[in-house]
Amino acid sequence: MVAQQDALLAQMRRGTLQYCVLSLLADEERYGFDLVRGLAEMDGMVTSEGTIYPLLSRLRRDGLVESTWQESPSGPPRRYYHLTTAGRAALEAFRLEWRRFRDAVDHFVERKAGS
Amino acid sequence: MKSTADKLVDDYLQRLERELAGFPRARRRELVEEISLHIAEARAQLETENEAAIRTLLDRLGDPADIAAEAGGRAETAARPRGSGWDVVALILLLIGGVIVPVIGWLVGVLILWASATWTTAEKLVGTLVVPFGLALPAFLITIGVSAHGESCSGGPGGPTICTHEGHLAPLLTTIVTVALILASIGSVVFLARRRSQTVGLT
Repeated sequence: MVAQQDALLAQMRRGTLQYCVLSLLADEERYGFDLVRGLAEMDGMVTSEGTIYPLLSRLRRDGLVESTWQESPSGPPRRYYHLTTAGRAALEAFRLEWRRFRDAVDHFVERKAGS
Repeated sequence: MKSTADKLVDDYLQRLERELAGFPRARRRELVEEISLHIAEARAQLETENEAAIRTLLDRLGDPADIAAEAGGRAETAARPRGSGWDVVALILLLIGGVIVPVIGWLVGVLILWASATWTTAEKLVGTLVVPFGLALPAFLITIGVSAHGESCSGGPGGPTICTHEGHLAPLLTTIVTVALILASIGSVVFLARRRSQTVGLT
């Protein structure tokens, strides 16, 4: 039962992670390391930081993000990611669906005894 | 002389490179480049760089096998076309469509083949061009071979050598060409069926 729950949580994390990445890019462009650390700050979101890079690569190939190389004030150039129009639309669509889904689950799971 | 830290990082990147060996070169290079940039940024932020700090950093990145699995698993399933029943119809029509309804039966097979998302363009070209009209082509050769043989030899009252050109040459040549066409026709369809089960079967 616990193993099953772990697998479910891992799947939920995987399914939503790409939208967390898109959200982090909604307001500003970020380079990989910055993005990864931004995600890792939230407890329980990322277990291995390295797996974010295949995800970014996929988002780029799917046309949801684009990247540009920029000089870094220190060290080698950085690859900065930003949202495309399609990426912004995908994020918006997910937000709406997510709110509905979250509210629906909350309605049952968070129901207090006696109410 | 390389420091222990450099050696640990090199080992890690080499393992990553090995785990990604099955990927196209551009994707492998992109991922290895991104991960090594990540390591460089992380190292630059370390207060003191020692072996423990590097090991912690690499642990946070995760096992190269996990990174490769993430790069492989979901990307492939997302991009991999789902084979439909039409694929099977296409293969059957490519093989015997021309026999059932001359030319048109095969053409319908070709149309379905090219409309399918299962095969690559190269594979579709194989299916179309290796033996146009499928088994109908060798079947056609057999029919004209038989009739040519019959015609040229029947009208020979002056002697048995009347059925010269087509009558004697054709049987051997036609048989070889016909058998080759039958094999190539079946072979190309088997090839397409295999490719289909390889791409579709992994989902």
